[in-house]
Amino acid sequence: MLGKGVVGGGGGTKAPKPSFVSYVRPEEIHTNEKEVTEKEVTLHLLPGEQLLCEASTVLKYVQEDSCQHGVYGRLVCTDFKIAFLGDDESALDNDFDEKKKTLFGQLKKYPEKLIIHCKDLRVFQFCLRYTKEEEVKRIVSGIIHHTQAPKLLKRLFLFSYATAAQNNTVTDPKNHTVMFDTLKDWCWELERTKGNMKYKAVSVNEGYKVCERLPAYFVVPTPLPEENVQRFQGHGIPIWCWSCHNGSALLKMSALPKEQDDGILQIQKSFLDGVYKTIHRPPYEIVKTEDLSSNFLSLQEIQTAYSKFKQLFLIDNSTEFWDTDIKWFSLLESSSWLDIIRRCLKKAIEITECMEAQNMNVLLLEENASDLCCLISSLVQLMMDPHCRTRIGFQSLIQKEWVMGGHCFLDRCNHLRQNDKEEVPVFLLFLDCVWQLVHQHPPAFEFTETYLTVLSDSLYIPIFSTFFFNSPHQKDTNMGREGQDTQSKPLNLLTVWDWSVQFEPKAQTLLKNPLYVEKPKLDKGQRKGMRFKHQRQLSLPLTQSKSSPKRGFFREETDHLIKNLLGKRISKLINSSDELQDNFREFYDSWHSKPTDYHGLLLPHIEGPEIKVWAQRYLRWIPEAQILGGGRVATMSKLLEMMEEVQSLQEKIDERHHSQQAPQAEAPCLLRNSARLSSLFPFALLQRHSSKPVLPTSGWKALGDEDDLAKREDEFVDLGDV
Amino acid sequence: MPPRVTFQPCGWQQNQDTPFSSEYDFALVNIGRLEAVSGLSRVQLLRPGSLLKFIPEEIMIHGRDFRLLRVGFEAAGLEPQAFQVTMAIVQARAQSNPAQPYSGITLSKAGQGSGSRKPPVPLMETAEDWETERKKQAARGWRVSTVNERFDVATSLPRYFWVPNRILDSEVRRAFGHFHQGRGPRLSWHHPGGSDLLRCGGFYTASDPNKEDIRAVESMLQAGHSDVVLVDTMDELPSLADVQLAHLRLRALCLPDSSVAEDKWLSALEGTRWLDYIRACLRKASDISVLVTSRVRSVILQERGDRDLNGLLSSLVQLLSAPEARTLFGFQSLVQREWVAAGHPFLTRLGGTGASEEAPVFLLFLDCVWQLLQQFPADFEFSEFFLLALHDSVRVPDTLTFLRNTPWERGKQSGQLNSYTQVYTPGYSQPPAGNSFNLQLSVWDWDLRYSNAQILQFQNPGYDPEHCPDSWLPRPQPSFLIPGPPSSVWLFSRGALTPLNQLCPWRDSPSLLAVSSRWLPRPAISSESLADQEWGLPSHWGACPLPPGLLLPGYLGPQIRFWKRCYLRGRPEVQMGLSSPTISGLQDELSHLQELLRKWTPRISPEVHSKKRDPHTILNPTEIVGILKGQFHPFWITRC
Repeated sequence: MLGKGVVGGGGGTKAPKPSFVSYVRPEEIHTNEKEVTEKEVTLHLLPGEQLLCEASTVLKYVQEDSCQHGVYGRLVCTDFKIAFLGDDESALDNDFDEKKKTLFGQLKKYPEKLIIHCKDLRVFQFCLRYTKEEEVKRIVSGIIHHTQAPKLLKRLFLFSYATAAQNNTVTDPKNHTVMFDTLKDWCWELERTKGNMKYKAVSVNEGYKVCERLPAYFVVPTPLPEENVQRFQGHGIPIWCWSCHNGSALLKMSALPKEQDDGILQIQKSFLDGVYKTIHRPPYEIVKTEDLSSNFLSLQEIQTAYSKFKQLFLIDNSTEFWDTDIKWFSLLESSSWLDIIRRCLKKAIEITECMEAQNMNVLLLEENASDLCCLISSLVQLMMDPHCRTRIGFQSLIQKEWVMGGHCFLDRCNHLRQNDKEEVPVFLLFLDCVWQLVHQHPPAFEFTETYLTVLSDSLYIPIFSTFFFNSPHQKDTNMGREGQDTQSKPLNLLTVWDWSVQFEPKAQTLLKNPLYVEKPKLDKGQRKGMRFKHQRQLSLPLTQSKSSPKRGFFREETDHLIKNLLGKRISKLINSSDELQDNFREFYDSWHSKPTDYHGLLLPHIEGPEIKVWAQRYLRWIPEAQILGGGRVATMSKLLEMMEEVQSLQEKIDERHHSQQAPQAEAPCLLRNSARLSSLFPFALLQRHSSKPVLPTSGWKALGDEDDLAKREDEFVDLGDV
Repeated sequence: MPPRVTFQPCGWQQNQDTPFSSEYDFALVNIGRLEAVSGLSRVQLLRPGSLLKFIPEEIMIHGRDFRLLRVGFEAAGLEPQAFQVTMAIVQARAQSNPAQPYSGITLSKAGQGSGSRKPPVPLMETAEDWETERKKQAARGWRVSTVNERFDVATSLPRYFWVPNRILDSEVRRAFGHFHQGRGPRLSWHHPGGSDLLRCGGFYTASDPNKEDIRAVESMLQAGHSDVVLVDTMDELPSLADVQLAHLRLRALCLPDSSVAEDKWLSALEGTRWLDYIRACLRKASDISVLVTSRVRSVILQERGDRDLNGLLSSLVQLLSAPEARTLFGFQSLVQREWVAAGHPFLTRLGGTGASEEAPVFLLFLDCVWQLLQQFPADFEFSEFFLLALHDSVRVPDTLTFLRNTPWERGKQSGQLNSYTQVYTPGYSQPPAGNSFNLQLSVWDWDLRYSNAQILQFQNPGYDPEHCPDSWLPRPQPSFLIPGPPSSVWLFSRGALTPLNQLCPWRDSPSLLAVSSRWLPRPAISSESLADQEWGLPSHWGACPLPPGLLLPGYLGPQIRFWKRCYLRGRPEVQMGLSSPTISGLQDELSHLQELLRKWTPRISPEVHSKKRDPHTILNPTEIVGILKGQFHPFWITRC
């Protein structure tokens, strides 16, 4: 086991590969600003947070400028985080390293080195050689116990925090995210999408009488009898997700339980026949059933792909990094994570084509309708419904499809570490798909990739209830206080959508896309409050005056286009020649051949070169990947500068216009300082003043120091011998 | 008129602002493949004898620059012409020869063109150009040498170049004789901090220099510095054959009908090794920039031929280290100096003289520059479109810039050798009167082929020169030492400095660059040997921080990207779609607002209200269309 103490010490013993790797949830993200006061090394505890164990004189490796050195400090484990408290100045910006995952060689007596891999792909290394043996034992077993061992739901920090912080929490009244926990919310959504003619919100599951899997309220086709819902505990009934402007709808259905008995099968069959009859006759459109459990991705595939993919970024040291660098593309490909993203996007486009071009209803079928159903249906809505591309709309979408849709966050994120097999990053896959869309069409989204990145981190912060339950039922039943008198009000759990809990207003500006332009004219039926006063209105007439897609919009033009543009070439990308694929191809090509309407239908490119790695999320902690003064941030800062100018000019014009004093409005701008930012901004603010010493330092030292020359010579292979 | 295939869209007029339309213009040499399509049958034509057995409905011309021209003959009555046109192209292609005598370009345009070049890019064909550039770089220890004025030192060298002040022309001549093809050490770039970047060919090992000669060689290499670092540019970089093979593979991969499945795309891309070579170039350039900018020394790029990788590295190093080189003007001058004037054999490398020596080193360079552009979007004045235009120009036979191998051939062609007798005398120089080369056109006369609207797009709207202050840290100018044996000599190779006993190979040891180096993945940084032992920063790094204008590019796997807009232009399905309007859109909005404001300023507010509705104050629709353009605008062509 490698236990190097200080810089450059020791020769080249290589650390043995860790024999097991496991993950712990990362906890809260601390902005370091609070800790900047010097010598403040006291541990800040959140309400309800308890110190579990600690060890002093721990050496933390700091990777900076690609050279490793160490910082001494105290390693602390609480029931919320693992923190390192340095008592050295240079450690200041490294206090509070939350999140972790531990790995070491088998817990032999006293490990010398502790490596923590975080779920957000950070890696920390601690050397325990100078720590007292007792403390080593305590901290290591403490960390293992609290980060690896299974725990009970009620032992989640979520509850102790909520109990302790009961009085402090302020819910943001301005948060307009629709939570879909009331009948009214569903009715509103029906009205917004004009689905209320054919679909109705039902309260048959109020109090979770019918089933614990479904939310208290949901939407079904109007003629569907309510007793049908009860019949198989909500299985086998079409549940409405979303309605398209042309009337076609996206539905989902959880499969009926598999039965051996012929009699029961017969009953099931006739039940399904009845259900299909109701939705097959007018006014309903033709239904196309899309079985996501059989012909599509398996959860197992997703899990395997991600664990391979992740390894590309969990870099313990530079050595590993350089070793994998040379084979980067083939390693990336062999993880097949990008291919899975492509398949999801493609499936969503296919469904979009059915709804948009063929005016069909699509019924998604899955065993529990809570994994790939959520993924595909959210993607379809994101592509078809511009409302979902606003921040509020996106958050409402996640509430509707994932949280209320019963995605098992608790199991899928393995928060309780009870079953590793259930741990499948379906939601992360969704975010990665969304990132592809955001990356390809940035002006269409009100949120930025940074938003997606912090959202993916929030999945593991046990302060917010949003992603910590398997179903709304589970959440509601656990809200009451345990033990105490039942009279007291239920726990007040925070929602992740209240971004002010995590970020200061200044930091929140990074979540908002300055280039997003809201839809130029709002329908009169638009709900009030959907407009935000800070949103920018384009002062030019919208560059694309293309009318919003009408019914049959694509069909009319495709024939002509295909003939002229694509000729008889059948694209090599889709080799199958059946009709479905042709339709897909036509639809896809014709959409991409037109100018994009950012407030209309939005399709991603899915060709090989177009699916990319979400660099911000996956590369942000790798110092080698930093480009000082470069990257997207450089463009962003320029953009923000111009935005500000546009804003101020607009104000001036308004001022003139109304001859009234417009108030201030000074956009807070993080990027505007003159310093050159790193491409890793806003995540890793690594200090890097110089380049990696690509030259062996012996050579450098000797430069200008001739005496050293003779001594050094033997270290190098003479070129004549090469 | 140079041999080409041109498509003239309806309504296209001769006297539009460009004589040739860049979008529909295909030089015959650029045609990589010609296909005729009719119904389901499609035939490849190109070989001289190939015959067309049907009347084509459509022909597709695949350019070697990755462009695709598709022409349909669907309208009735075009059949006979369709056949004729196709066969005519086949025949013309068979007969064309890029090295054939250059007939010159319409001179009416030429006169106009040279007049409108704002600051003309110096072609580095006169001593004045070299002197101006030398002054610009403040290279005080250097002078312009006229020793090669008659191309009798080396035909591949420019007529003028920079040598150290103290070296006499006779010594230059004497020293250059001992380098491969007479390409001795010349200054490429003088860093404001005092160090110099030199380039030279390999030592001519068969020669037997006397003591005097060796001293001349050494003092030229040393250029007054006490530390000399020799960089073997062929080490770690791909060979010419490697580059050519990678480019061929890349082109095959990017053909519209390449059979790579999309989920195998990444490994196929990796398999071309093109990106790998780009990484190698960037890494090496980055290392050398650190060497040049951080300490005062003489850094010498040495390549056997001195005409390929030396130019590539020297240009990249200057792009990384000198903010001036990142301007549109600076970049064009850089290419003119380090590639055109320095004698990069464009014609041979781009396949003009037969396949054997073909290697698109210059295209590799352009891709490297594109990578830098991606990584540092605010640091370059020129845009991706400019790089594309340059990329597409290398095979266009309008100007001689890329159609000759050496400055000598280029000069012969444009008839400038009558200025033989010109003698450069510093101090009082007068331009040689009435020489024809003033009228010579170069690729930098963009208005020959590109419309003004297109040329406007050469500017990067995100360029922010203040983004990187070009204030250099004050550094002592090196005092020129008395010539003598170099006090320390290093070889930089495989990312490591190795001490050398001597600069020149002749005295006793075998030659330095006699060993042919092959490209190898750098073994060291990762392995324990060097890195782990010396992981600490050298002490002087802290005291000598890198200058603010220096760009350090990323060259890791995830950071090197695929130049989609260039290589995938031939794929219809990729051509579609839009780039985001982002910066240029905002810029237009900004100027629109400013204009509005300016218009209103003298007015009293009540009138303003009515004014706003006035259609004339709003941008007219055609201008607006200009904002949102296809992703590959203005350099893609499919639909005709």
